[in-house]
Amino acid sequence: MGNGMTKKKTVLQKLRSGMAARIIGAIMLLLVVFGLVVSTIGFVSFTNAFKREYATSTYHMADTATALINGDHLEAYLRGEETEEYLKTKENLDVYCHKMHVSLIYIILVDTSDYGRFVSVFNSVDNTVDDSEYTPWELGYKRDTTNDEYRGKYRMMYEQTAPYETVYRIKTTDGQHSHITTMVPLIGTDGTTKAILCMQRPIRELHDARRPYLINIAVWTVLMCVLTGLFAAIYTRRQFVKPIQSVSDEATRFAKENTKGEPLGSISRIEEIKNLARSIDTMETDMVNYIENVTSLTAEKERIGAELELATRIQYAMLPHVFPPFPGRKEFDLYASMDPAKEVGGDFYDFFLVDDDHLCMVMADVSGKGVPAALFMMASKIILQSCAMLGISPAEILTRTNEAICSNNQEQMFITVWLGILEISTGKLTAANAGHEYPVLKQPDGRFEFVKDKHGFVIGGMDGLRYKEYELQLEPGAKLFLYTDGVPEATDESGTLFGNERMIDALNKEPDADPKRILQNVRAAVDEFTEDAEQFDDLTMLCMEYHGNGGSEKHE
Amino acid sequence: MTIQQIKNENALTVALEGRLDTMTAPELEAALKTALEGVEDLTFDFEKLDYISSAGLRVLLAAQKTMNNQGSMKVKNANEIILEIFEVTGFSDILTIE
Repeated sequence: MGNGMTKKKTVLQKLRSGMAARIIGAIMLLLVVFGLVVSTIGFVSFTNAFKREYATSTYHMADTATALINGDHLEAYLRGEETEEYLKTKENLDVYCHKMHVSLIYIILVDTSDYGRFVSVFNSVDNTVDDSEYTPWELGYKRDTTNDEYRGKYRMMYEQTAPYETVYRIKTTDGQHSHITTMVPLIGTDGTTKAILCMQRPIRELHDARRPYLINIAVWTVLMCVLTGLFAAIYTRRQFVKPIQSVSDEATRFAKENTKGEPLGSISRIEEIKNLARSIDTMETDMVNYIENVTSLTAEKERIGAELELATRIQYAMLPHVFPPFPGRKEFDLYASMDPAKEVGGDFYDFFLVDDDHLCMVMADVSGKGVPAALFMMASKIILQSCAMLGISPAEILTRTNEAICSNNQEQMFITVWLGILEISTGKLTAANAGHEYPVLKQPDGRFEFVKDKHGFVIGGMDGLRYKEYELQLEPGAKLFLYTDGVPEATDESGTLFGNERMIDALNKEPDADPKRILQNVRAAVDEFTEDAEQFDDLTMLCMEYHGNGGSEKHE
Repeated sequence: MTIQQIKNENALTVALEGRLDTMTAPELEAALKTALEGVEDLTFDFEKLDYISSAGLRVLLAAQKTMNNQGSMKVKNANEIILEIFEVTGFSDILTIE
């Protein structure tokens, strides 16, 4: 029950707020206003025409009546003379009054000084005509006229400025005793007005004719309203509401489901609605295509992202990253780290034993970033290690690597490399530098300092280059620090570089700490310096501490 | 980074402003690809260049190699940081630096 009520209410609300209801309401209102205006105009002109027609016909009747009266003898009648003629005339007038269906005919002499009094000469009454109760005035009956309208019209009759005049007495309430009084002058043989003949005629016909007229108009207006309303309802429903409802439903459905629906097509002949439907169809097609595009693009992006992550993991796995790397070797301690900037990068470190007495260390940086740099880095790393394992000198390793890379380097990529081989038994370090950063060395009891070694050109830049090498003697307790340009070129938010000096300061913060701690200090200093700035370049570092042969002289 | 090119017959001056790094180097590479055609005298003006990364060096190296075949190339007005980078990477040996 309650459910039904609410349902009914929602339907009603729907109707009230609906487009069709508003349009139909407006049309009906207009029709009612239109009907009122038209019927008022019709009513007024109908009344006027009726009155005019009635007045004219009454005038003719009154004018005819004047022929029955001898105007020159009126004064004589009043004096009581010519009685026979008077009685004859009176009888004629009574008959005329009766035959013509008028209520009253009276002939009066008006006092022309101010038209405020008159004397009645003849007065015929027919009370049957209008169910009235008039008593005929007797000859010589005198009466005052206080009504200005009558006085004005009496004057006009005497001055003969109009052929006749009419006074209307219309009682709109019930039409009972509504009448008109038409007056005509009674003109004597000398051409002057001797008296006025007034004829009073009931005008019930006007009232009787107006009622059906009004009812007619009202009925037709109501009928037209209902018919037009019905027609408008059906028409707007079919032409506007239904097509727009379909468009609206389709738009709602599309907003929910985001799938291509049945095309709306030509749901209406109205140009605007047709365009709207067409736009919705086009929009759906475009949106669906767009969504598909975005979806596939996102999927593609995710796939690439996943592959890049895998590449990063493989690249990282390629680097030795178990520390300590040679648990059995007490002659040296080594720690290295690589933090790629974003995705895969081109930096790498490497270290491996060429033989029992030779430790090879590599620090390298490939030009550029991303997948190309990572691929190039992999190739470079393998070539460098392969050459190193041949047991040749660092300069020779770089020279051969350069040859190998230059032979197939369409993309002009290059790599900076510092490569050193430590003779573990003696502490002799032989190194070569292909365009890489200066290594940093700390001898026992000293501080970390740059080794301004001789630089060759980058590897892969130009073929036929020969690299030179140099030797350093590491004392037990010496530490070697290698890095890529990501460290000194780390940038803070204002664009200032971290720089070599800050790096050396960080290294010397705890110069006697172990390699792992040394790298942590540098990393912490870089992080503190850059704060919130995004890390641009990879941070790759390696620190090796030489303990001397046998490792028993470990420096604390 | 902004790249400004001034061409005078077969001489081209490329003035760079900002940072020439991984993000901006491809832009310069693409610009040079077409600009170097028929150029015999290439000058890089680094007066307003703040920094050059290895990706930027790679573009310079490629330009140098192109110019080796068709004319000459030089770099001028480089700041301290960039000169040091050239020094460290050995580029100072293969570039003509003024």
